Amino acid sequence: MEGLYLFLEKNSIYIVMIIVLIVWAGVFLYNLKLDKRLKFIEKEMKEGKK
Amino acid sequence: MIWKIILFLLMSYVIIAGISFPIVEKPEAWYHFPLIPGLGENAKIIFFHVPTAWITVLAFLMSTIFSIKYLRKKDLDDDGKSQTALELGMVFCILATVTGAVWAKFTWGEYWSWDPRQTSIFALLLIYGALFALRSAVENEEKRATLSAVYSIIAFVTVPFFVFIMPRIMKGLHPGSADDTNVGPVVNFKMNSNMYLVFVLSVVAFTILYFWMWRVGSRSLNIKEKLLKNYR
Repeated sequence: MEGLYLFLEKNSIYIVMIIVLIVWAGVFLYNLKLDKRLKFIEKEMKEGKK
Repeated sequence: MIWKIILFLLMSYVIIAGISFPIVEKPEAWYHFPLIPGLGENAKIIFFHVPTAWITVLAFLMSTIFSIKYLRKKDLDDDGKSQTALELGMVFCILATVTGAVWAKFTWGEYWSWDPRQTSIFALLLIYGALFALRSAVENEEKRATLSAVYSIIAFVTVPFFVFIMPRIMKGLHPGSADDTNVGPVVNFKMNSNMYLVFVLSVVAFTILYFWMWRVGSRSLNIKEKLLKNYR
């Protein structure tokens, strides 16, 4: 743990990378969830019309 | 579904490679980026700054195309598509401005110095910002759609001028300015093949992401319109 801490202290660019990756995962999952919900509502609306 | 996985992996690769691959003076290994004089580590932001600027132009172009379509067919669906493209274009325009300002802080010394490029993107933000004010000021749906379609077409006329022409004919610090010695496209500086590959992958990933967001956005607007109609 001490070694990792020292490594990250000298190479803080990896912390930036991890934060950007987390943000990207968040954007991706949010879009995925929206897409799925929209598909569900579209299906429901189609069935409602029938 | 497969393209979503590809997009996820592509963007993740761009983030990991773009941020963590080392910049060295003489690139030897496949993952080395070259040291660009005057830029150093700051060069890495190009993987996120240029694609956002490219998406801005693409989104505004798409908004114009759907505006023309709306004016021809008067289909409110096209207006929704145009509006989604506008919103995304604005978001990416702000992102390009912010990443540009951060880059400027560490290469030029200041976040904002009214460089021709910064001035032109500021004007672009104002022009398209006014469009949102216009949209929110008109209650009637068809009137709003027609007005914003016309405004969007006129606004797009300024985009090539502000993005491609003005910053090139005026002297400034941004690559591609009139007194820049690396004459040519903005990205045409000393990238090696690895850096160029990551850059192209980044542009591709951002483009796919944009189209996905645009589709989700326009579909949700469409559903909202339909549901509102049913309740009236």
